[in-house]
Formats: sequence, structure tokens, C-alpha cells
Amino acid sequence: MSKDRYSRQSFLGANSEELISRCTIGVPGLGGGGSHIVQQFAHIGFQRYVIYDYDAVEESNLNRLVGADLTDVLAETPKLHLAKKMIYNLQPNATIRGFACKWQDKPEPLRECQIVLGCVDSYKTREELEITCRRYLMHYIDIGMDVHGKDKPVIGGQIIQSSPGGLCMRCMGFLTDEKLATEAARYGDAGHRPQVIWPNGVLASTAIGLAVDLVTNWTRRSRTHAYLAYDGNEGTVRESLTLRNLAIKECPHFSVSEVGDPILVEL
Amino acid sequence: MKAHIKMTGELHAAMLKDLTRQHPFAAERVGFVFGRLGSLSDGGRLILLTRYHSIPDDQYVEDHTVGARIGSDALTWAMQAVYHGRPVREGIFHIHLHGHRGDTGMSATDSREIPRLIPGFQSVGRDAGHGIIILSLDHGAGWVWVPGSAEPAHVDCISVIGAPIGVFERRRSK
Repeated sequence: MSKDRYSRQSFLGANSEELISRCTIGVPGLGGGGSHIVQQFAHIGFQRYVIYDYDAVEESNLNRLVGADLTDVLAETPKLHLAKKMIYNLQPNATIRGFACKWQDKPEPLRECQIVLGCVDSYKTREELEITCRRYLMHYIDIGMDVHGKDKPVIGGQIIQSSPGGLCMRCMGFLTDEKLATEAARYGDAGHRPQVIWPNGVLASTAIGLAVDLVTNWTRRSRTHAYLAYDGNEGTVRESLTLRNLAIKECPHFSVSEVGDPILVEL
Repeated sequence: MKAHIKMTGELHAAMLKDLTRQHPFAAERVGFVFGRLGSLSDGGRLILLTRYHSIPDDQYVEDHTVGARIGSDALTWAMQAVYHGRPVREGIFHIHLHGHRGDTGMSATDSREIPRLIPGFQSVGRDAGHGIIILSLDHGAGWVWVPGSAEPAHVDCISVIGAPIGVFERRRSK
């Protein structure tokens, strides 16, 4: 391979290639968001992946699933296969641990990651992923979008970084009991939410930016948390107002000592 | 068996800061760090570090044949801490710093002296993982005795989950 391959990203640091190649990334969910995520990680040079998806490509995915085409609909190609193909075509020596199941059904491989990028639909799954990331010490970066209203549709979304020792999604006002209860009342079904490719692209790219900064520290910001709000109508990504006005400085929801496999303590 | 140690960036920074402090007479400092176990695929083990204990200056013993020797007060404290950590299976790791950059490992003195502490820790906290961690300024190495094991597993990877992330992989002999 030519030395020129990563020459345009040399500003990330002299040893950034090595740092990037050593980091293990987890991506549970390889749909509209996850397909962007793995493609960009592979372009940047990430070599180690733990990925999950049990779905096959359907016609309704083609408006947003990066890497999929009409032949994949006919062949019912697993999304996991598409993701592996995108990664291997860019990084033939990559180590990919791929699982055609829910991440909750095989959580152990995910625990080896340094960063998990959640591209999931429900608040409940987000909460479960964040709990897992705190318990097994991983940065968690969440992305999600939604479209509200029919007459005048409004596209909104979020990119959140929740890191061990830092503020969590509850602290940042994103996860609330009310949201979880409303979703639970629908039996956990997030429903078929409207999804389009360009907001997913913005959210995924911004999340990748946070992840690359965590690995290389090229901005020298050393973020402990982030909550960026996407306004799809205005085409902007800004720090969330909730976060800007937050009085809380330390997370009361997770303790750094509550790590490892849960243990039932006899009283 | 695959073994992987993880810690937060904050804990790593606190340990480096403490271990680089000069001691009144010892050539180096040592400390204790606590860890809990997590399970990985194929029987692998994750060790998740929780908190660090800096050994007070007066609990070192003057012995110029080694970089640092700690006395019975420090060891008694460590044994008691393991005992109190039994309900949550929290183990203890002896930690010290080799003040250079890059890969590191046990010196002949380290190999001779430090593993002798482990059976004592195991006798008090038999369901926990105990071990040894050696940090360099930008890398690290570790050995863990998982519950029921008389021999250590060489840690394959130490991850520092901070900003930036650190991934310190075991040097493989060719």
C-alpha cells in the first residue's frame, strides 16, 4: 500500500494511523446510521470491528442503506454481509467479529471495544447500551433522528457522547423516565419512523468526528461528554441547549465502581 | 485465556501522577489498584479497575537492593481491603511505574519479588482476580491470577478509556 493513502489526514497526528488501527469499534445496528458509520470508519483506517445486525436488505431500505442496491433486495442480502463487504473492500486485513443477532443475545464480544456507536431505534435499547458501556468501560456515542409533524415536517436528531466518569444521557436530559414509559406503553415498539439518508449522513459523520477525536485527540479538547442537536430543516448541528444550561457537573446515575459482571449480594 | 484490563482516563492519570512523585528514600513508588471481573467470549476475562490506593511514605521500608519495598502496614491494609471487597469480588493489583516510554515488562527483581504477594491476596479473596500491573509513561503490561489459578495469565491488552484513548497491547515475542 502506498504511503500516500492517509496523507490527507496526517493532521490527526504523527502516530494517528497506529492509534486508529489498534482501537476496537462496536456497531450494534447496521441500518441507515450504522452503514454510514462502518463505511467511514473503514475509509479512515479502523481495523477492528464488532458488529451486529440480524436483518436482510428490503426494498424500503434502499432510500438510505449505504452499500445496498437492487440486487441485494432480490438476494435478501444480510445487512451484516453488506457491512463486512464495505469494510473488507477498504481494509482487507481488518478483523471483523460479526453477529447476525441482537447485541443483547451475544454481549461478550462488545465488551472488548473501546468505543461503541449506537444506531438503534428505541430509547430502551439506548439505555441498555449505555448501561453496558458504563459497566464494561467503553465510550458510547449515540445517534438518532426523527421526523415530527405531517403538514410542516420537522427533522431533528442528536449525537451524544456518554463516557465513563462523565455525564450520562439522563444527566444531559436526553433519556427520561417519561420517554421510556411512553415507549414501553407501545410495548417497546419504536414504530416505522420516517428515515432519510441525508440526516443519517450528517449524524453519522458528526459521530465519527467525535470518535476520531477520542482516539487521536487532534482537537486537544479531551471531551468527557457531548450532546449535539441536529436541526434538519435549518441544516445545523449545535450544542444542545439542555446541555448548555445544565447545572449538574457530575453524573449521579453511574458510579465508576459499578463495573464488571453483576453480582447478587446476599443480605 | 484472553485477559484485558480496562480503566478510565481519570484513574490512569491519577496513578501516573502519584507514581511519578519522588519518595524521600525509595527509588520508585508502588501502589494498589482494585479491579472487578467481567466475562469475555471463549472464557476470556476482563478486569475493570475501580480505584487506586497510594501507599503513604512511612509505609515504605528502606532497602537499597530493590527500587521500593513496602512494609507490613501497607500489606495488612491491602489484605483488609481485599477482605472487605469479597462481597463484590473486588481483587487487588500491585502497580508501579517504569519511567520510560514504550513497552515494558517485569525486571528480574519484579519477577522474583512481586508474585510472592499473590497467594496471600488469593487466600483472603479467592473469588476475585488479583495481579500485577507495570506502567510505562505511555504503555503498560499486566499479569492476572484469575480465581482458582496458581499461574498468572499475561494480559493481552490494557485499555485506557479516556480522551485520548490508550490501547497498550502485549508485546509478542517472535
